[in-house]
Amino acid sequence: MLDSYIAAYNDAVFDTDRDEALRVVQRALDDGASPEDIVFRLVVPAMDQMIKAISEDFDANLAQHFMTAQIANEVTESMLRRFTAPPQALGRIVMGTARGDMHSLGKRIVMGCLKAQMVECVDLGVNVAPDRFVDEAVAQRASVIGISAMMSHTARGPDGCLGVRRLLQERGLEHRIRIIVGGAPYRFDPDLYRVVQADAWAEDGITAGKVIAGLLTELPPWP
Amino acid sequence: MAMTALQRLAAAATRRPADRAPIFCNLFDQGARELGMPLREYYSRGAHVAEGQLRLREKFGYDNLWSLFYVGKEAELLGCNRICFADDGPPNVEHFVIDDLDDIASLEVPADITRHPAFEQPAECLRLLRQHAGGTYPICAYITSTMSLPALLMGMERWMSLLLMGPVDARDALLARCHEFFVKEVEAYRAAGADVILYANPFGSTDTVSMKFFLSHALPWIERDLRAIGTDGVVYYCGTSRINRVLDIVLDTVGIRTYYLSPFDSIADAKEIAGGRALTCGVINDARMIDWTEDEVVAEVRRMTDAGMPGGRFLIGTGVMPLAIPEANIRAFVTAARDFGSHDGGAHA
Repeated sequence: MLDSYIAAYNDAVFDTDRDEALRVVQRALDDGASPEDIVFRLVVPAMDQMIKAISEDFDANLAQHFMTAQIANEVTESMLRRFTAPPQALGRIVMGTARGDMHSLGKRIVMGCLKAQMVECVDLGVNVAPDRFVDEAVAQRASVIGISAMMSHTARGPDGCLGVRRLLQERGLEHRIRIIVGGAPYRFDPDLYRVVQADAWAEDGITAGKVIAGLLTELPPWP
Repeated sequence: MAMTALQRLAAAATRRPADRAPIFCNLFDQGARELGMPLREYYSRGAHVAEGQLRLREKFGYDNLWSLFYVGKEAELLGCNRICFADDGPPNVEHFVIDDLDDIASLEVPADITRHPAFEQPAECLRLLRQHAGGTYPICAYITSTMSLPALLMGMERWMSLLLMGPVDARDALLARCHEFFVKEVEAYRAAGADVILYANPFGSTDTVSMKFFLSHALPWIERDLRAIGTDGVVYYCGTSRINRVLDIVLDTVGIRTYYLSPFDSIADAKEIAGGRALTCGVINDARMIDWTEDEVVAEVRRMTDAGMPGGRFLIGTGVMPLAIPEANIRAFVTAARDFGSHDGGAHA
């Protein structure tokens, strides 16, 4: 039943037309779709299609990523209030930009996508020190730390992922917490995530949502 | 054939004979290392930056000089009062002038940029560069386009939101202010001696926006920007975003004659699209130069020149070179570019 709406929704998202995407959602609701259907059978499959398109060399652009996440976030927030039962969270992540880095766009895209996938996301903001990443992950019982960096030195420096890794080792937390990184330096060098000792990276914010969801399923829940 | 770097650039731009392709090696923070001082101190004085630029060019032997301190300087001209300095990389804007949409109305474009305190040190840098290298080496200025400037004033996240979702009146008011500033800034840098204007505009790439949005929104602002400043010495540059998909459109519509590619653009495709009508600049993926061996750097320059040298009108360039790139790799890049970029029977022939 939702197939035609998925296509129309995707067209609107790919066209960065937020208003039209929201109209499609409303039409689907009017046609009898449940709020759960909207999230799990419309918004999430649309993101899956975007990831598939990207992997097949479709020239998706930053604005499309931004709008995909923005709309997913808005629709999910609105639908969650109407769910018949609270959804089961897949897990929790803390996320921020590396120390010295003020670029927040990538983080916002990832967080928008994660919401639709029922991942709880704690936003630590920009310019986050390594100890704060780790302290907050422990305090929030998060299984993944997401570190965004847009500059070479904030990606590679000791106050970025390397610093977080060192603290996880020192505190014996590596079995419980994974690190994912993303941002321009990683696109220019796909092996860089290994250099900075991250567990994973993603080329774009939408794919990051899927990678993080995968990491969360690998880890045991906090006691 | 003895040529100055400026003559070499002019020859490449107009397809006249030259000894070799010009080499633009964009070193910024490395100047502080040359002068043995922290970045914050280095960028506090135009004399430091000019000295750093002159020493780096002399040391490595490439063809261009920069008047750019760091990109946030433009935000300082518009009221930014806090820049985040690091020891190991470029400063970035920490205070966004536009915190909410009401701030747009009070955004103040300096009546005369040349008299603004934040322009004092760049002007001094330009004066010194002109004194020591004017007429010999191209002096480059980095100017952010109208459509991209708001990202420096309110952050890319909020600008993307305003640009794509409105409110439209606030968006248009901000763009109008930014255009006014853009024109004045170009005039100020040209008057101070800049030969080359790097027109920086990530929104001029379909890596950032869709082709539909590019045509309906980005291109009209590019046209307006270039109508105001002319195309003399202007280089079309979209950061690290690809430009091949728009190159023909911009060339036809706006008439810019120099295109600084992304490392991810195919050089061969760019040359074909330009069809001898424009100078194309092949750009090495300098993020990889941190870890590459010297041989790998040379091999990459070889690949670039193999694609770019046939037919001429080619420049060999870098992006913003990270401070972590070993000097040996910078030397390897310049040496290979001089060699493979030779028109007079160098190793490439």
